Amino acid sequence: MNDVIFDVKNVTLRFGGVVSLNDVSLHQNRGEILAVIGPNGAGKTSLFNSLTGVYQPQEGTINFVGRNGKTVSIIGRKAFRVATYGVARTFQASRMFSALSTFENVKIGAESHRGIGVVGAMLHGPGTRRDEKRSDERTVELLNFVGLTEKANTIAASLSYGDRRRLEIARGLATDPQVLLLDEPAAGTNPSEKLELANLIRRVRDDMGVSILLIEHDMKLVMSLAERLYVLNFGGVIAEGTPEEIRANPVVIEAYLGSTTEDAGSK
Amino acid sequence: MGAFGHYVAAHFDTLKLEFWALFVGGVANGLLYGMIAVGYTLVYGVLRLINFAHSEIFMSGGFAGYFVMKALVGTSVPTGAASVGLIILGIVAGGVVGSVMAFVLERVAYRPLRKRNAPKLAYLISAIGASYFLFNMAGKEFGHLAVSTPQPYINHAVFHIFGAPVLMYYVIILIAGVVMFVALDRLVAKTRLGRGIRAVAQDVETASLMGVNIDRTIAITFIVGGALGGAAGFLFAMGTGVVYTMGFVPALKAFTAAVLGGIGNLRGAMIGGLILGVFESLCVVFVQAAYIDVVAFGILVLVLLVRPTGILGERLGRSA
Amino acid sequence: MKELFAKTYVRRLLITLGVVATVELMTGPPGSNTAPTAGFRGSFAESASFFGLFKTQRWVLFLFIALVAWGIASFWINKGPMVRATVSRALVTPRHITAKRPVRWGALGALLVVAVLLPRIETSAFWQAAMVEQIAVYVLLAIGLNVVVGFAGLLDLGYVAFYAIGAYTTAWVTGALPLPPLFHHALNPFWSIPIAILLVMVAGILLGAPTLRLRGDYLAIVTLGFGEIVTIFANNLYGITNGSLGSNPIPHPSIQLGPVKYVWGLKPVPYYYLALGFIVLFLVIFSLLEHSRVGRAWTAIREDEVAAESVGINPLKYKVMAFAIGAASAGFAGVLTASQSNNIFPASFTLTFSINILVLVILGGMGSIAGVVLGAILIQTVTEYLNNGQHWGYQPSDLYIYLGALLIVMMIFRPAGLIPSKRRKREILLSEADHENAHLDEALLGDDV
Repeated sequence: MNDVIFDVKNVTLRFGGVVSLNDVSLHQNRGEILAVIGPNGAGKTSLFNSLTGVYQPQEGTINFVGRNGKTVSIIGRKAFRVATYGVARTFQASRMFSALSTFENVKIGAESHRGIGVVGAMLHGPGTRRDEKRSDERTVELLNFVGLTEKANTIAASLSYGDRRRLEIARGLATDPQVLLLDEPAAGTNPSEKLELANLIRRVRDDMGVSILLIEHDMKLVMSLAERLYVLNFGGVIAEGTPEEIRANPVVIEAYLGSTTEDAGSK
Repeated sequence: MGAFGHYVAAHFDTLKLEFWALFVGGVANGLLYGMIAVGYTLVYGVLRLINFAHSEIFMSGGFAGYFVMKALVGTSVPTGAASVGLIILGIVAGGVVGSVMAFVLERVAYRPLRKRNAPKLAYLISAIGASYFLFNMAGKEFGHLAVSTPQPYINHAVFHIFGAPVLMYYVIILIAGVVMFVALDRLVAKTRLGRGIRAVAQDVETASLMGVNIDRTIAITFIVGGALGGAAGFLFAMGTGVVYTMGFVPALKAFTAAVLGGIGNLRGAMIGGLILGVFESLCVVFVQAAYIDVVAFGILVLVLLVRPTGILGERLGRSA
Repeated sequence: MKELFAKTYVRRLLITLGVVATVELMTGPPGSNTAPTAGFRGSFAESASFFGLFKTQRWVLFLFIALVAWGIASFWINKGPMVRATVSRALVTPRHITAKRPVRWGALGALLVVAVLLPRIETSAFWQAAMVEQIAVYVLLAIGLNVVVGFAGLLDLGYVAFYAIGAYTTAWVTGALPLPPLFHHALNPFWSIPIAILLVMVAGILLGAPTLRLRGDYLAIVTLGFGEIVTIFANNLYGITNGSLGSNPIPHPSIQLGPVKYVWGLKPVPYYYLALGFIVLFLVIFSLLEHSRVGRAWTAIREDEVAAESVGINPLKYKVMAFAIGAASAGFAGVLTASQSNNIFPASFTLTFSINILVLVILGGMGSIAGVVLGAILIQTVTEYLNNGQHWGYQPSDLYIYLGALLIVMMIFRPAGLIPSKRRKREILLSEADHENAHLDEALLGDDV
């Protein structure tokens, strides 16, 4: 699996005087479950936001190899455009369409990543109806896949944290992505939910062929799930390797000094 | 474009001739815009809300000043101490009525929404409703005709700058404006109240955790903004008279000034006012009278599209 | 003393007294600048009849009403929940029925029949003219603004500009402006319908593309600013729009397509049917849109623009679309007005007019097509009724006092409107309950920097 999908080279992101990402380089191979870890404030979410077009780094390049094998540059593209290339994401504080049902939330994901025909939408022709049927079917499949079928008609705002995460994953998958970026999916979940989450993430990669890029604080989860990790601190990459290599890396240990080895998340 | 260049060149001579007169007038207007703009910027700082009804605060100060002047200034125009006393009385009347109106406005139109955590849109709609209610009410109670205000002073040229006469009216505005701006700047920068305002402007939750009484701070913010807006109303009334619709255009221009200087930034509001006032005044040479308002509205649209954070940037909380 | 003030029922009494006093002022006699206290004094001291029993002063009557209202309010707040529960239970069966599809379609059909027969039922000249000029036009404007404000959540304070463009296009196309029509060939106003709608949509795209990136309150001010700029130009470009003089006489529309021949004249009823036809057309299109991908995208953008972007929705594109589509009905309304009333003046296209439409949308229920139609019909009917004849000290210039107060009251008590759109109602309730969500747009994504 030496097929690279994300190629990040020398990315530097600044906000006024603050350097959020400092000469960061990393890559992700297709089909990998890759994790990015690091203490609070290390720049992990900024990295995600740069990978999805929300932030525009001042220096460096980010290349993404899309569906048809074509390479596109993420930097300089708007967030919605990046989503259409096949980069899906979840958010640290789950962002959902709160007043809509679970089903509608995922359906919007399923139908929105392709172009639209306004006139068709207005006239509700046969083409539109076919598309909508397909979106509905896909939504049902995905809700089944993440285990939210019973909650399909529940208003998203009343979902539990764990269910919200699953909703975001289903919505992301509905856009038919190449890679799914998960921003602290285990935050606020209990141990049994964490287990289910880990299984779900593995199934996303194994059954759907979607690569996973994961930010997490929960070390146990990360070490059991990730195949490769990058460690960030103060906006720079301080280590890279397999879970075993990282666990033994003195630089990493020092960066986390003061936290327990089990769960370095202080959230 | 030859014709355009020709046009500009021809008018440039007029500009050179009239520059100082226009400049003085522009500064006076600018100070008035600044006084009103301060009200917008303070409220925006603490509530992230554009107080659409601020134009009516301005108007109420104007009417208050008008009635006071009408009652006290007879057919003979006073001079000397009586004149000064009346001017101060007018400013105070305008300011007091403005603060009271602002206080009531906050209580009636905004506080209930705050208590219910209403969505942002609701505040704006309520503000629009309050504005329309207030100025039409003024029209009902005070009539729809425009009237001029008796001036409690003789509007002679007090001194000259480079040949341009500086009228008494401008001198009054200059003194009042500078005093108010300096006082306000001190208030926000140095007093406990001012710190409270800046704290709420930066982060409401933390401020309340630190013991700042949010409701009171917001009320006082409105009162202060209302005082300056109302005083500006009186000053404006002395020059232009009053009419129930007087709030709309000056307030919109003042809002432009606030945005130009950086909405939420107190000094920005003052500076934005001056810049807008002078620029608009100088444009009189180049633009037909009927279109002069387009200059300000055009600047508003342009600034919002191109640099919405304004010249001095957005936050009141950071460095005023 | 402070403790007394803190007691809820005392506060409630004071608030009731305040509200009643305000209503007294609103419904009282006017003043003037020479007699500024006349209105105030008259509102309270003028003689009034105490429900037909005896003569007294207004303040006595209103004080009585205030006390009664206070009593009822106190009772309702304390005992209300029980009553409301009983009423709710009683309403369960009817609600089950009204939710069924065939019942709804039946009701719509009945309404349509009533609408078609209306000119036969109400035959007074005043009301027939009002039906077209006031009600039909305002319904068209309300459903269009509803697309912008209700579906897409964009506060457009310059909506009147699209109405004006529709009207002026009609004048231009029929040769009633100093600016000659295309190819110097004046057309029948009927042809200005498609042309006006097209131009209005183009204007929507041109106006929207640069401005719709702005957030809520700034967008409102920019649209307001644009509206003012357009008004000033319309008033002063004598060479194009004939300035404040307004257009020259515009001919009435007529059709001559083979066997179909019809000329609209001065009578309002034919215009009513023309308007009704287009209203139904727009209602169908807007309703289909609401329940389509586009409608869902608009909802997504309104709910959480960042999340919407993350699934590939381009917010700007959809917002511009809403602008352009919402403008279409305003364009047609402009054609209707221009061709019926024969000439148009820039003075009729003011910010106040935009606010008037906004009130209809807010009252009826943002995002709810049925709601805004109801809101438009209700307010405009009441307005016309009050303008026609003497009603307890009401002057036509008082209208905006009531509309302004109505906006404030709606925002405090029923922001979702009279017939709320279910989604909107949920959104408002969620915003009120979930304080943390309100800050989501302010915070950066996540807490890493």
